Amino acid sequence: MPRSSQLPRYGAAIALVLVALAGLAGFSFLTRGFTAVTSDGVRRIDLEHSPRALSAIRLVDSRGAGFSLAAIGGKAGRVTLITLGYTTCLAICRTTLSGQAYLQQELRSRQLDDRVRLLTISFDPSRDTPAALREYGRKMKADPQRWTFATVADPADLPRLLKLFDIVVLPDGLGGFVHNGAIFMADADGRLVRAYDIDRPDQALADLLPD
Amino acid sequence: MFRLRNPFLPGLLLALVGIVRPWLEATMARHMVAELPLLFAIGWLVAYTTGCADGRQRHSYCPAMLLSALLITSVWMLPVALDYAVIHVAANALKVAGMLLAGFLAGSAWRAAGAIVQGFFLVNWAWMTITAGLLYQDAPRQLCSVYLTDQQWMAGVGLVTLGAAVLSIWLIHTVFLPLSARPDETAEHA
Repeated sequence: MPRSSQLPRYGAAIALVLVALAGLAGFSFLTRGFTAVTSDGVRRIDLEHSPRALSAIRLVDSRGAGFSLAAIGGKAGRVTLITLGYTTCLAICRTTLSGQAYLQQELRSRQLDDRVRLLTISFDPSRDTPAALREYGRKMKADPQRWTFATVADPADLPRLLKLFDIVVLPDGLGGFVHNGAIFMADADGRLVRAYDIDRPDQALADLLPD
Repeated sequence: MFRLRNPFLPGLLLALVGIVRPWLEATMARHMVAELPLLFAIGWLVAYTTGCADGRQRHSYCPAMLLSALLITSVWMLPVALDYAVIHVAANALKVAGMLLAGFLAGSAWRAAGAIVQGFFLVNWAWMTITAGLLYQDAPRQLCSVYLTDQQWMAGVGLVTLGAAVLSIWLIHTVFLPLSARPDETAEHA
């Protein structure tokens, strides 16, 4: 280790300042300017700054009809609020789906339901067949014209789907899954532009209301 | 005979951590309270084995080295960093390299830093670790995408225990024991 007398006079002070600045820069990058400490928070900020184009992943809905995720805006250019989960989930999907049920009701009462659609995508295609999704939608009192339940047409597309939404799905050892979630907003051009916490559908609604 | 300065020991320990890594990272508590401190300790052992930890002469770069170690260890208390480490191989490699470096830097600077500088960084680290542990226990929602809420409670308990234990050991070793030895020294001088 070099002796202090051999070192430049201010070398240690400069090194200390540089380390502190590097630390601040690193933390600022990781937490997106000291505003988020979780992956979900970081994703929310990233989407606000850099919307993501939806991939052309084939989905199949509860009627058995196929469609592309990239085309969910449709010709009418509708906004879509998307969530991911699976129908036998006893944990966060309950919160997520009650949020979407709340949104369905609020959008209807505010007469916004013609320009906003709801989409729930299952990442458990082996159990969530179109028939299972149809039954689940019925239980949730979903309006089939405005709230679509779907899953991937090809299970091989699941990794691509989960990566697009930054959803982590892990087996829970009891036949189910542990996963994170969010309410995603896709704009009329088929881009993910916002993500909201699953227990804050009111924030998604506030962003949809006219100024 | 077993020697702590065996040059192969850090490599052997690192290989062992590599072998049991899936088990260590299966729960948040083991990841934060076992794997990360183990990597830090291996880095410290490298400093000890190579003789870098032996220097008693104070040098002005100790604070910068200890601050680097403090910042690196702080990063891996963030839920987003833990998620990256579990999901992305490159982030995990960065975590391993960073924690080894943090341990090496801290080990190299520790004795030379003296009790006051040691105390400044150790109390800061312990305070930060205990605070993070309390926040993890109290968080109403899942913070890490890859770990369940009950796991973060256990990790929080582990972090509080780790921070309190290290701080207590340092206080006993560096503050209370030397202070309790002082009256004898005074008596000798008299």
